[in-house]
Amino acid sequence: MILLDVRELDHPLPLEMTIDAFKKLSNSDVLRLIHRREPIPLFEILAKNGGFYLSQEISDGVWHITITRDPHLDLELYRV
Amino acid sequence: MFNGLSLDQAPPISVVLRFFITLPLFGLSVSALMIFFPSEILTANHPISLASIHLLFLGMISMGMIGALFQMQSVLGGAPIPSPLGNSIIIHTLLTAGIFALASAFMFQVPTLFIIAAVLLGSAIVYFAQILLPLLLRKMAHNTLQGMRFAIVSLLITAILGIVMATSYANETFGDSHALLRASHYSIGLIGWVAALIIYVAFQVVEMFYVTTPYSDWCKHNVKRLLAASLSLKILWLFAALPFVWVFDGVIIMVLIGFSTTTMKRLRSRKRRVSDVSIWFWILGIGLLMIALLSHLGSMLNIYPLLEPMSLIAFALFSLSIILGMMGKIIPFLVWFHLNSAGYMETPIMSNVIPQKRLKMTFWLFCSMALTALIAPFYPLILIVSGLCGVMLFSVVLFNLTNAAKLYRSILVNGTKFTFEP
Repeated sequence: MILLDVRELDHPLPLEMTIDAFKKLSNSDVLRLIHRREPIPLFEILAKNGGFYLSQEISDGVWHITITRDPHLDLELYRV
Repeated sequence: MFNGLSLDQAPPISVVLRFFITLPLFGLSVSALMIFFPSEILTANHPISLASIHLLFLGMISMGMIGALFQMQSVLGGAPIPSPLGNSIIIHTLLTAGIFALASAFMFQVPTLFIIAAVLLGSAIVYFAQILLPLLLRKMAHNTLQGMRFAIVSLLITAILGIVMATSYANETFGDSHALLRASHYSIGLIGWVAALIIYVAFQVVEMFYVTTPYSDWCKHNVKRLLAASLSLKILWLFAALPFVWVFDGVIIMVLIGFSTTTMKRLRSRKRRVSDVSIWFWILGIGLLMIALLSHLGSMLNIYPLLEPMSLIAFALFSLSIILGMMGKIIPFLVWFHLNSAGYMETPIMSNVIPQKRLKMTFWLFCSMALTALIAPFYPLILIVSGLCGVMLFSVVLFNLTNAAKLYRSILVNGTKFTFEP
């Protein structure tokens, strides 16, 4: 699993870094993004470009987003 | 897990760009007037002064804010504006033609043009409000949406008062209530429309973009209430000729000082002190708002008569500073977002859509324009220098925006889509 913690980064770095990582993601990889808020714009880009994600609010101001390209991968297995 | 933000049905990029690209064109018009008519612009109620004020507040500030609202409604409201492309063309065309008609009516004193301007601007604003208000009434949990609703209602009232005054100008007969209508028109326009919208946008974007501590819930809930109550009571007091109207101005000033200090505190204590031109514009804008408020306070206390025009200039510069800063942030984001959504590999990083060097140039040109404009009430001819800075500033802004649009178009036509590894 690739871990990307962008909680301390200013806009637009979290979005740019995540999309950059997503573009390089192979089908078997899973990307775990840790963010301070739910990154809605990211979801639209992922959905339109063959990505799948699971978004969870772990605590106040901490979101975990698990991202994959594999349509058969059960993201629930990665639930925190 | 939905938090009220959605880009699922974001309007096409041309919807927002149309309004933003028009802004520097009106900026160039105002700058030209500053160069050729510096003394007239600084003379209260002079036709060229009134033309410049309306070019500034409608052609630049409102044009930028209406464009941004098209994007914000879809992103924050979750309910997109229906037929955004067609509706934006209608509103933009009516607004642009109306602003030209109004500025020409003031400059050339043509009565018919006042009526044409009233019809065009009234139609643009009523049409815009009747599209947005039902969407904002549908889902009101978000404080920023409530602030947007208050701002649009204020814009609507400002427009109605403007239409009434335009008919007075067209008939060249001014009733006893003209001065009261005028005071209500600019109070609601400046505070209810411009300041309220900027404040509620700040509540949303400052903590989101710059990783600051959030504004207090008390602020988010009560600023609009305090502004709405103060403005309503001020107008009631004015029309009823009651004493102590200044109390309501005092409350508005206190609210805006509170907003300025709390925003400045957040911007200065942000976690990562990364250099970003948009933050410079925010800090400068908040500083200009403080100058506007203190000079207005000074003029209320009759300290010095020239503080009143200085206050209006500082307020306009505050609004422009925030709008230019946000445009430098929004346009690269929209180009990047729409190209990535469509899956283009060649999508540049946001900082390459409008290079930092050119954004910094706009900031320093804006600073030069602002500084010279602020001292112009005391030395009117310096407004020529301010106008020259304005010409350079808005030429660079126009270049930045058209280049971003060309880049978007070029990748859309020639780009290749993401290739997925198996």
